Amino acid sequence: MKVVLENLTKIFPSRDKKAGKEVVAVNNFNFEIPDGQLVGLLGPSGCGKSTTLYMISGLQKPTGGKIYFGDDDVTELSTENRGIGLVFQNYALYPHMTVQQNILFPLQNLKGKDKLSKQEMLDRALEAAKLVQIDELMDRKPSELSGGQQQRVAIARALVKMPRVLLLDEPLSNLDARLRLQTREEIRRIQKETGITTVFVTHDQEEAMSISDVIVVMKAGVVQQIGKPQEVYDDPKNLFVAKFLGTPPINVLEGKVAGGKVYIGDSAVMDVNGVEDQEVYIGIRPEGIEPNENGVFECKLNNVEVMGRDASVVSTHPSAISTVIRAIISSDIRVDTSKETVKYNIKPHKFFIFNKETEERVYFEVK
Amino acid sequence: MSKTNANNVMQARDIQKVSVGQKIGKVLSKTLTYAFLLIMALIVLFPFYWMIISSLKTLAEYRQAVPTFWPRQIMFSNYVEAFTTAHLGDLFLNTLYVGLVSTVLSLVITVLSAFAFARLEFKGKETLFGALLATMMIPGELFTITNYITINQLGWMHTFTALIVPFLVSVFYIYLLRQNFMQIPNELYLAAKVDGTSDIKYLWKVMIPLALPTLISITILKMMGAWNSYIWPKLVANDDAHQMITNGLRNAFTDTSGQANYPVQMAAVAIVSAPLFLVFLCLRKYIMSGVSRSGIKG
Amino acid sequence: MVDSKNQWKAWLYLSPAIVLLLVFTVWPIFNTLRMAFLDGYGNMAAIGGQTFQFGINNFLKVVQYKEFLQCLQNTALLCVTTVPISTTLALLIAVALNSIKPLQKTLQTIFFLPYVTNSIAIGMVFAAMFNIVGLKQGNSVADTWGIINNVIQFFGGEPVNWINAGSSYIANITVMIVYIVWNALPFKILILLGGLQSINKQYYDAAKVDGTPKGRVLTRITIPLLSPMLAYVIITGFIGGFKEYSSIVGIFGEKMGPADDAGRLNTMVGFVYDALERDRQGRASAAALILFAIILVVTIINNKFIKKHVHY
Repeated sequence: MKVVLENLTKIFPSRDKKAGKEVVAVNNFNFEIPDGQLVGLLGPSGCGKSTTLYMISGLQKPTGGKIYFGDDDVTELSTENRGIGLVFQNYALYPHMTVQQNILFPLQNLKGKDKLSKQEMLDRALEAAKLVQIDELMDRKPSELSGGQQQRVAIARALVKMPRVLLLDEPLSNLDARLRLQTREEIRRIQKETGITTVFVTHDQEEAMSISDVIVVMKAGVVQQIGKPQEVYDDPKNLFVAKFLGTPPINVLEGKVAGGKVYIGDSAVMDVNGVEDQEVYIGIRPEGIEPNENGVFECKLNNVEVMGRDASVVSTHPSAISTVIRAIISSDIRVDTSKETVKYNIKPHKFFIFNKETEERVYFEVK
Repeated sequence: MSKTNANNVMQARDIQKVSVGQKIGKVLSKTLTYAFLLIMALIVLFPFYWMIISSLKTLAEYRQAVPTFWPRQIMFSNYVEAFTTAHLGDLFLNTLYVGLVSTVLSLVITVLSAFAFARLEFKGKETLFGALLATMMIPGELFTITNYITINQLGWMHTFTALIVPFLVSVFYIYLLRQNFMQIPNELYLAAKVDGTSDIKYLWKVMIPLALPTLISITILKMMGAWNSYIWPKLVANDDAHQMITNGLRNAFTDTSGQANYPVQMAAVAIVSAPLFLVFLCLRKYIMSGVSRSGIKG
Repeated sequence: MVDSKNQWKAWLYLSPAIVLLLVFTVWPIFNTLRMAFLDGYGNMAAIGGQTFQFGINNFLKVVQYKEFLQCLQNTALLCVTTVPISTTLALLIAVALNSIKPLQKTLQTIFFLPYVTNSIAIGMVFAAMFNIVGLKQGNSVADTWGIINNVIQFFGGEPVNWINAGSSYIANITVMIVYIVWNALPFKILILLGGLQSINKQYYDAAKVDGTPKGRVLTRITIPLLSPMLAYVIITGFIGGFKEYSSIVGIFGEKMGPADDAGRLNTMVGFVYDALERDRQGRASAAALILFAIILVVTIINNKFIKKHVHY
């Protein structure tokens, strides 16, 4: 089931009536979520990603625009008639019911021709529980489960009625680091097995990048960029997207384009033929610079952090906006730490420039 | 589970129907909810309404076979008559006196005890506090019998003292205030000690202002208690000089059914009820939070 | 922080409370027990120097009294009727209140009003509403039937003699149930509404996503999640119910019954005070202890039930 968002807009009236300022939570969102894909809505808190999710679910009504499931316009349809499954950030498992009762609950609400017999319900619940591997815990209460197990129960409860669309609100935020890694693989696996179109919301770019088929980066209610995770990472449309994706974060410096060359301070670091002269921000991915004696980009060397497979060269530069310039290199490469400075070579496809005023990407041809 | 449920898929024209149905259902359920609440509210309010219009009717109008829902002739004189026949003025003063004195004394005792339990360390503190809490389980009727004898032996029969002293200590209020005091960080107390502030000054300057909402709740409940008390005053001080308002009201109109002058009686009830209402309207927030914490009537 | 100065200071602050509690709380516990087990104990006789035998005669006497059994029956009957009725009504009102936005605060205030009334004073208003003025000719002619009967007549019913001389026990009890429920609603609504407002809204969103019908949301989600509060209002309701007294005084006066049958509606607490006023402290103590025991047993049964069914 594809999901289409058409000019979707949500405006919250201001809380303080006298101030009279409205909050535009989501502004003119257009997007077609392809059938059977896992889509991550990504952005900092307050960017409108959760509001978008809740509008898809029907729990919040859009101020403007339309939502289609397949070819059906569901904008006016209330939640229960949309056939969605929703996993809440805090799971919202009913604390007084056992795991089994929680999973059975949605099935017991079915009426008319959808009504199931007791045995059918139990079978469906068991099937869902097996899918998320909690079939051993059916008689426990939610309070007797770990966070990860609760998460699975919540997913089973959302899946048991075979929803057309599965929605997950910050699915991993309440889990510790180790469980997070494990659970996100699990979500990926479940989504692939069921083939249900799935939308999830997260503020953690690593989480979104690692499991999504498509990510949507949002900021202040406006969609910044949509695409496959790697494409967005390799080809950010603006400074915000470039900064938001990637750990460690991208290195950002001030610079200028003059006569087809990019300058950081006085040194020309890159040829960018055909680009007009302008003030720019320069973004260089940490894996895009390599220490090299003949490098064009010289920084003051601080130290080298070795972390097993990788090493991270930490340096500073007066034009840098970010506090340090970081290079991620293989730990096999030795850096002479006795020197005061380090010179880098820059990989052109990891090097982006953005207009200083609009912060939009300035494209150039890589030779 | 590899396919979405066919049953869930809805046809385009169904959607139109469903969304209209949804709206009708919503409006209908809201209407029913409001209708239910308004009817219940009318039932709750009706006795008050009936009290007021009855208190303004002439006796003849009240005794008509067909009831009137608004007095034809408004008789404020019923209120004057009620005030004089039931000696409401004296009753007011008695009740106010008992209420104020017991509130003030009770607050002092409660604050001192709560402070000791919350901030001071002494041997047997936990045991004593536990013992106090245990007494809350026992219904008051059990104490009344012996207290009646005690008051008699102390020679306090028919005095205000008998109405005030036995109820000065409320374990529950001590408990409530102690919890409140405990939320105030201990560092504040230690800092005050370093500066050489006396306990009393610290109490007065720091703890009491911070615990003010609780103290106000206690005051209101205590005053309401004096206003509504009936059984104990009836036992120990039912003479004219010391009568409390509820007892006076009940005694002045002993005829509950039959030929009583109901308009005057209703006027008296309205006069007695008015102060509580006024206090409630002014201090709604404190009363409702106090009640929801205490669960004690008056 | 324990030093000797703090020790005496603490005891100084506590002294007024402790002295008063010893005299008016601790001593009564022992003395009431003592009096209950001294056969035929009366205070005047005790002051006169009479001594009493230790025994359980007070208890035996009390339970053999016809009046006591009547009191027990009245009290129990009022309890088992008013607690379920008022709890159910309060629950429905609280749920309805919780589901609306406009008028919520106003209605909440209206529903709380009966709480800030004097139960004897408003009892007199209820008495007036149920009262028939000038009843004569074999209970068929009256000057005024009273507003409640007027309403019944309006809907085509026959007027009922609710509280006057010649009224039936059922009619009397019905009036008491109506009044006690009216009186008990505000506290229950306040507590239940507070409980409802503290339930996480996400449970309702989750139920909505699953298309749960309203009735099922109430029985499967709201009531279980509200069960601690429900248990609380039910237990306090029973305890208060067993101590019912002044609401009856409000409606029937100190005769505790219609004019021709005084004491018909007397309660356990009323029985204790009657014995006390007749200077029968032994008997009063025994009756009070029986009342205490009943309250204890009911509370224990309630707690047992709660452990099974209440989710905390």
